[in-house]
Parts: sequence; C-alpha cells; structure tokens
Amino acid sequence: MSVVTDVTVKGAALAAAAAGDFSGLPIHNPSIECASRERIRAIQLEKLIAQVAWTYERVPWYRARMEERGVSPADIRTLEDVRKLPFTDKSALRDTFPYGLFAVPLSEVAELHASSGTTGKPIVVGYNAHDMDMWADCIMRLVQMAGVVPGDRAQMAFGYGMFTGGFGLHYGLQRLGCMMIPAGSGNTERHIAMIEDYGTTVLVATPSYALHMCEVGEKMGFDWEKSTLRVGLFGGEPCPPGLKAEIEARMHIVCTDNYGLTEVMGPGVSGECLASRDTQHIAEDHFLWEVVDPDTGEPVAEGEMGELVLTPLGKQAIPVLRYRTHDLTRVVTEPCACGRTTARMQKVRARSDDMLIIRGTNVFPSQVEDVLAGIDGVTPHYRIVVDNEGGLDRMTVHAELKPEAFSDSFEDMENLRRSIEERLKGMLLVGVRVKLVEPGGIERSLGKTKHVEDLRK
Amino acid sequence: MSVQQISVFLESRPGHLRRVLDAFEDSHVNVRGYSASDTGDYGIVRFVVDDPARALEVLADMGAAATAADVLCLRLNDEPGELARVMGVMADCDINVTYSYSLISTFIVLSVKDIARAEELLAAQPVELVRKADLAAPLADRRA
Repeated sequence: MSVVTDVTVKGAALAAAAAGDFSGLPIHNPSIECASRERIRAIQLEKLIAQVAWTYERVPWYRARMEERGVSPADIRTLEDVRKLPFTDKSALRDTFPYGLFAVPLSEVAELHASSGTTGKPIVVGYNAHDMDMWADCIMRLVQMAGVVPGDRAQMAFGYGMFTGGFGLHYGLQRLGCMMIPAGSGNTERHIAMIEDYGTTVLVATPSYALHMCEVGEKMGFDWEKSTLRVGLFGGEPCPPGLKAEIEARMHIVCTDNYGLTEVMGPGVSGECLASRDTQHIAEDHFLWEVVDPDTGEPVAEGEMGELVLTPLGKQAIPVLRYRTHDLTRVVTEPCACGRTTARMQKVRARSDDMLIIRGTNVFPSQVEDVLAGIDGVTPHYRIVVDNEGGLDRMTVHAELKPEAFSDSFEDMENLRRSIEERLKGMLLVGVRVKLVEPGGIERSLGKTKHVEDLRK
Repeated sequence: MSVQQISVFLESRPGHLRRVLDAFEDSHVNVRGYSASDTGDYGIVRFVVDDPARALEVLADMGAAATAADVLCLRLNDEPGELARVMGVMADCDINVTYSYSLISTFIVLSVKDIARAEELLAAQPVELVRKADLAAPLADRRA
C-alpha cells in the first residue's frame, strides 16, 4: 500500500519515510537512477571509453603517464580495464597548477573553482558549459532525494567565492526551478530574519553552522516549528547521525547530506536518500567508482571498506582519471527501498590521511565523535589536541558540557569526565584525557570544522 | 531559612570569571559572597547574590552551565573564637559540612547534605541563621 505524500508539507517527508513510504518523493532521472545494474554498467563503459580517449588526446600530462604504463585508449574494453590507468593524486593538480590538466582552451571554460588548499597552492578546476550541465544534473538528483521540489525557496549559507559548495548547489537548485536566496555565509541573526521574511523552505549549510543557527534562533525566540523551513541540505563536512537527528528535532526539518570533492567536480558525487540514511547514492553515470586498499591500490572485495577512487565520466574541461580521494568507505549495489538502483557508498566518516597514530594505535576522529554522541552530558562538538610530553603521545579530547548536565559538585563533574574517558578508552584502545569545556566553548565553524590539533614535535 | 547559592561551571582561564561578573553588574545583580575552586582544567564558582532568580536568568542568557542549590547561611559575631564555636555546634549536632565559605562581614555559607534536618537541629543551638531577605539588605542595616 502506498499513499502519495505531499512532500512540500513540513514534516511530511520524514513521516512518510518513517512509515516506509517513499512514493511521494521525487526521483529526478528514473531512467538512470532506477536502471538495471547491467544498463548502468553499459552506460559507464561507453562513457569510460570516450573519457579515456578524450583525456589521452587532449591532456599531455595523462598521455605521458599512460605511455609510461604502456596503456592506450584502445586497451580500455571493460570496466575492469580502468585498473590499467594511472591513479591521480592531489599533488598532480598542485604540480600542474593552474591549467596543466585542462583539456579545453580557456575560451571554452565557463567557470573556475578552487579548493581551499591548506598548504601551498590551491587546487584549481574548470568547467565548460557541458560540465556545468552535468554538475547541475547531480545536484538536482540529490536535492530531490530530500524532497526539494521546483518552487522551493532555497537560502544559501555556504560562502560563495571559489569554494565549489556555494555555486554548485546554487546552480543546481536554480536549474530545478527553486528561487535562490544567495545570503552567503555569516551573520546568523540576518539569516534567521531572512527565513522569516522571505519564507525560506530550504537551507543549504554545513551541519555545524545549521546547529549554530538553531541555537541562535532559539535564543532569539524564533519558532523553528512554525517556520516555513522544511529541508536542510548539508555539505562541506561530514555530518554524524546524532548531530543530524538533533538538528532535525530542534529545527523541525528534514536534513540530508551529500558527498563530493572539488577535484572531481564538487558537491553532488553522491547524495543521501530518506530510505537509507547511512549511505549516499552515487551518480554512477557521471562517476565510475572503485574501492581500493589505501596501501596497495588494489581493489578490495565488493562491499569491503577501502579508499574511494573516482573517475568522472563525461567531464570535459578537466578530466581526472582514478582520483584518490583518501576517503574511506564501502559501496553496496543492492537496490534501495527508495526505488533507486544506483550504488550506495557508506557515508565517509574517516579519511586514510586523517588517521591519528597515538602511541602506535590508529585513531580516527570519527570514533571520538561516535562516543560523544552516545553521552548525554556533552554536546556533539569536540576538539582533539595531541601533543607529546616527555616523548610520549598524549591525546586530549575537549568535550563541551551541556548546561543541563552541570551540577554543583566536583564529584559529579569528575564522574562525568571520567566516564567519558572510560568510554573513549574502550573504543579507541588508547588512554585519552578528557577536558570539559564550557557550553559554546568549542568554536563553531562556517566551513570545514577542524577537529584535530596535532602539536607533536 | 536557607539561602540559594548559584554555581557556575567555568574553564580555569583568564577572563572567564570576569565575563560572568560583568554580566551580573550589567543586570544589577549584587554579589554578597563567593567561592571559586578548580581542578586545574575547570572550576566551580559559587555565588550568593541578592537576587538568585535574576542571576540564573543572566547566566542562562549567556548560555552558561549554572545551577542553584540551597545552602545554610549563618551570621557570626565578629570576635575571636566565634568560628570555632559555630563549627563546634555543627560537630555537636553531627552535621557534616561539605564546604563552607564566608560572605560579606561575618556571614558564612555552609553546604550540608540535608538542609531541613540541619535547620531543625540548629534551631535550638546558639547560632544565628540568616534568611534570603537579610542578604539583600544593605550591610549598614545589619549592623544597626
């Protein structure tokens, strides 16, 4: 039995999803998103062959590397043949800065974007008109997974500028037929006033900024339940499930997040649907995915955890082959209850390069996040500081006390603090010091939240 | 008979206590006594103020972690041996004092587990328990 739900009614999409009914949620391109696995693979193969030829003919950097390996476009006959191609690492984009990997003349490039580049030069990428269409197609798919429809009013809380998140979502939402409210980042009170004044229905933000908006709104006496806001589209940083659930409950909206990276396009590589909230549907006709062992580069068994490697299919201005994302995930290809058949990647909670090694033990910040999410007395905000005192690594987790968890007793506070230490030790298998900080004491960020400060010398 | 004490969770870092005191001042909350102690990383600062409800409001607006608790407040005579005498009374009544600090003039705060029982026991003792209203009154009146 299925009852078509009007997803534009606040709360309806989540209620329908909770009842297992996804019939009212739009699917942007069913001929691809609901195609058989065979058809998806056929599309991928056709596009891969064309992509390799395009890249080989137009980008000397790739041609040289393929020749080094003795591979020519004619060697690509099956999807598995992608393994014959060289990997691309971030350094390739940095070394060829700015235009070394471009496959079209700059006169054909419609737009440049760049990633922040924490060290040295940024990574710069270009898009021609065809790439902009492909990008908008990806965005239109993922926003509809959350129940966004033409006519929605979408307020942007990402910064615009060179960062792909702002314009990427902006163009895709606009193409779908949404009214864009390009507020940009910062000035939280103004954002909240705009939601009220303009009747905003969709908010695009990082999850940590959404939570900050929620807190500020509550302090201002803004009634999130009565507001027009219905959907939160998150990106820019990983969104732990506990944080998302908290935002959904407090802001009375449905929130999804998407995955993407500047080097292969930007946001929109994959997106979360309401049927399978731990995973994200990959736009498989636009991206060929592989999951490899981060150490050997060899493929892992289907469904196993490994590093995601992406080859954009049909991307023209800057075609990247086998991009090493350093993001750890597993991919499943079973059909989803939402009706889609595209492969789903488990949400990225860890990167092969953000792993900390503490006294010989591997520690991922996401593990700390999981432990804190299960403790009542602290907020989901945290910070990890690593230093070495007397040559020994020391990890300190700064956890933010919830106001209601405070009691006028050092004994209670120390019990809370020690219980967090115990739980972290149980999860990480390494001793951790927990420092309780005041509510609001962990800085909220507008972009990617920096959770780790490694002061080891 | 007991008075209310406001406790605040503060990181042990310069400026954090000042922020609270500035907010109290802005809202005309008058601090009649306080105690601050820490673990190295964080501390609990306890205040006795003239208007605990307003103090709690101020702290909630700041987003601070704060809570109110009932404590005993005694008035001592300003003379040698008085503190020993009063603590002797507490001991004789078998009331454990978990912590104590002094306020303006010769008022002291005592934290005990069972306020009602302590008040009952102390009613018959030669000590002067102070009410909330007494703390709001200016010092001069107390001396009169």
